[in-house]
Amino acid sequence: MKFGNLVIAGLVTGSIYAVFAVCVSVWYRVSNILNLAVGDFAMCGALGVDNLVRVRNWPLPLAIITTLAVVGIFAFAYDRIVLRLAQDGPRRQEGIVITFFFTFALSFFIDGVAKMLFGSDVHAAPALWNGQSLTWASLNLPRAGLLVLGCALIVGGAFWFYIRFTLGGKAMEASGENSLGARIVGIDTRRYRMLIFIGTAVIAAIFGIVESPITGYTYLSGATISLTGFLAAAYGGFRKPGRALLAGLFIGILEALLGGYVSAEYGDTVMYAILAALVLIMPRQLGFESAVGG
Amino acid sequence: MTSEPPSEQTPDPDPDPGATEANVALAVTGLSVSYGNVVAVHDATFTVTEGDACAITGPNGNGKSSILMGVTGMVRRRGDVEIFGAQARNGDVRWAARHGLTLVPERRQLYPDLSAYDNVILGCYAWTRSIGKARSSGPFSRAIELFPELKPHLKQAAGTLSGGQQQMVAIARGLASDPKILAVDEPCLGLAESVARRVYDVLAKIHEQGTTLIVVEEAPKRALTLCNRRVEVRNGVAANSRAGAA
Repeated sequence: MKFGNLVIAGLVTGSIYAVFAVCVSVWYRVSNILNLAVGDFAMCGALGVDNLVRVRNWPLPLAIITTLAVVGIFAFAYDRIVLRLAQDGPRRQEGIVITFFFTFALSFFIDGVAKMLFGSDVHAAPALWNGQSLTWASLNLPRAGLLVLGCALIVGGAFWFYIRFTLGGKAMEASGENSLGARIVGIDTRRYRMLIFIGTAVIAAIFGIVESPITGYTYLSGATISLTGFLAAAYGGFRKPGRALLAGLFIGILEALLGGYVSAEYGDTVMYAILAALVLIMPRQLGFESAVGG
Repeated sequence: MTSEPPSEQTPDPDPDPGATEANVALAVTGLSVSYGNVVAVHDATFTVTEGDACAITGPNGNGKSSILMGVTGMVRRRGDVEIFGAQARNGDVRWAARHGLTLVPERRQLYPDLSAYDNVILGCYAWTRSIGKARSSGPFSRAIELFPELKPHLKQAAGTLSGGQQQMVAIARGLASDPKILAVDEPCLGLAESVARRVYDVLAKIHEQGTTLIVVEEAPKRALTLCNRRVEVRNGVAANSRAGAA
């Protein structure tokens, strides 16, 4: 059952990528800004809870609530101070500067602060669901992995439902498609940008807390997570959260199978080669042309 | 680049003395709009009575659209704008939409990746957050029924529709917001004559149903087939005048 176990491991890793890809694409859809700091919010969640529990002996529920509140307030302040000036102010920025620059800088800023606060060792938040792996027909189902997978499906499903079946979700899409056209019908585009930014930052932090017992985090882990989430989001043209979720799961399974059957050492290299080849062979079907062409 | 404000003054600030405060839908006093140092509109004063169809006409680049942009709050302005007696917030197009003045802008400003249906239903956002209420509402049904030719294309992405169909979606979206005043900016720009006629037929129907209309048009002849009132704009200065339907 090596194949089955590899697929389960891949689904768990893939669901992490998927959630970050969904966070990146949902916020891009509303703001036209790529959130390159989404992984850093996950790192803050994991290391923040670890620090409060392990070093300061806070009870776990209080540590989680406090960490999520701090992440949410920080995201709110960042939107109010930086993004408002950058996107709404009289000297607003456009093009690649606004698309990449401000969240890239935010990622470096968070990494620097995290290094000061949490040091450079590998840590993880306490596991939320303790115990041995569940087994079913010789398949190993790690509890933390199941938790991550379950959360990914809930987040993906919730966003899909929100966008597809609510007027608020459609208004969110309209905000990113045409800000002027959205304001004409009374949509508060700035409010949507702020709410989705805070929401995705908090979701990323929750995932950091849930997932960190599997992989462990350092202050630099955020950048790697952001990169893979970014890659999966790119497969959805940065605008299709559902497709980004599937791409994240696919990348996770591909990574696990290549690591198991091809080479543990060069698995990642082969995976990126396959992903690049896919982009070259069918850019339109994968949404890359629409991403580049807007 | 700097342009001096035009020296002429509005010749007739309110040529319709019959309009009482009770039936004034829109009152514009001393409206000026500038883009940097360039003055696009200078000291425009006019009123639109409830039930009127008002044409804002004038040559291209003379400030017609800027008047509408300033009135609806798409750009910041100087001067006062009252919508049914309430002082309109400066630079806040959302406020205008929620208080009964909806703009159908030049170049339509649709959401190209969303379906035509979603574009229209988003007009309802001006008065509800419930998609169920929006779907079963009168304004939404009215907007869809006014354009039977759109029905086969409602699931199609708005960006893939023809220019005429996009204009119809834009007007339908405006209607779904349940406006008391519908302001339409250059509704026939770039459209074939037959499509332009169809657009004007629909605007006439909307007016007949009791909605106050403001139409910005370069060609006064076409506008005056529909409108009973005209604001002529020359060099950024609005001259209010009464015009019977031609």
